[in-house]
Amino acid sequence: MKIDISRQTLFLVLLLSLLLGVVLLFSFWVLIPEGKEYRERKLELRKEYTELQRYQNFYDETYAVLKELQSENKNIIEAFDNKFDAERFRKQHAPYFNSLSISQVAQLPQEEEFAVYEVNTTSHINSPTNFYEFLDSINKTDWIIGVNFPINFQREGEMIRSSFTMKVYTIAKDFNLSE
Amino acid sequence: MKFSYIAPRKKSALTPEVQLLFAFFSVTFFMLFMTYAFLLFKDYRFSEEKASVIAQRENLEVALEDMKKRIVFIQKEQVLAEKVFTGNVVLKDSIANLFDLVPQRITLSQAQILQNGLILYGITPNRDVYNFMLHAPLKSIFHRSYSSFYPEENGWLRFVSTNYIDEEKLNEN
Repeated sequence: MKIDISRQTLFLVLLLSLLLGVVLLFSFWVLIPEGKEYRERKLELRKEYTELQRYQNFYDETYAVLKELQSENKNIIEAFDNKFDAERFRKQHAPYFNSLSISQVAQLPQEEEFAVYEVNTTSHINSPTNFYEFLDSINKTDWIIGVNFPINFQREGEMIRSSFTMKVYTIAKDFNLSE
Repeated sequence: MKFSYIAPRKKSALTPEVQLLFAFFSVTFFMLFMTYAFLLFKDYRFSEEKASVIAQRENLEVALEDMKKRIVFIQKEQVLAEKVFTGNVVLKDSIANLFDLVPQRITLSQAQILQNGLILYGITPNRDVYNFMLHAPLKSIFHRSYSSFYPEENGWLRFVSTNYIDEEKLNEN
């Protein structure tokens, strides 16, 4: 049996095969791997976005906690930031005493992030009630102050002479994170 | 043998079939290259976007660490302030209780409140009043209680009462 194929048809078939081969080669060697990479990168990006969203949510929650903590402890934070002013303290608490003198502001060893100052106080009061009122008011003052031992009460005529030390707490210079 | 007198057509490799083939493959290649270009472009954009997302995440991490430090610090401030405030309230109550403890018949001239003790100076009409009305309650509070008396000209007794709390015994309890 004789197959009669013209040269032109043969040329056409060969050209078609060649071009088809190129298309297939390009598709399988270049396009499909690139498509796979595209899909992988898309998934990776989606994962990164999910992770970012997780961080953002955690950030928002932490930020809300911080803000709440800051607003709840506004006075405490401000009190720790304030530098002790003996004259202002004397003016603020003078009504509880007949006389009040503050002396010797000495720095004690730092307690973690807090600087501690010791203040010696001498005062005259009419009755212990004045001292109770002073102790009540000291918790609402502009500083964080703890009245410390020893406390000495001595009768002087109709008055009581009281002497005691106070510890004033402020933030050490190296630590100021609460703002 | 017959001969034709018509001039032969010029033969070209670009027959209509070949032209059609080229047209078809041109479109195919164009689409393939465009797809490839699109994928390359998208890959580039993904890489850029990923880098940006990672940078954002790192910034958030830094900010989070900073916030956590601030939260811990505020909590420390809160704890210390509460400790100091509680100390002041306890001190006030302790002093109030001390003065409530002293009966009307005994007059205090001096009181020294120490970290672990109390020293009282005063005048009492006699030892019994002191022992029953002041010494007994003091003994129930403090672990060690010592008293000394000095007679006054008017017959009353000047006393010094020294009282201590032993830390070891407190820890045992």
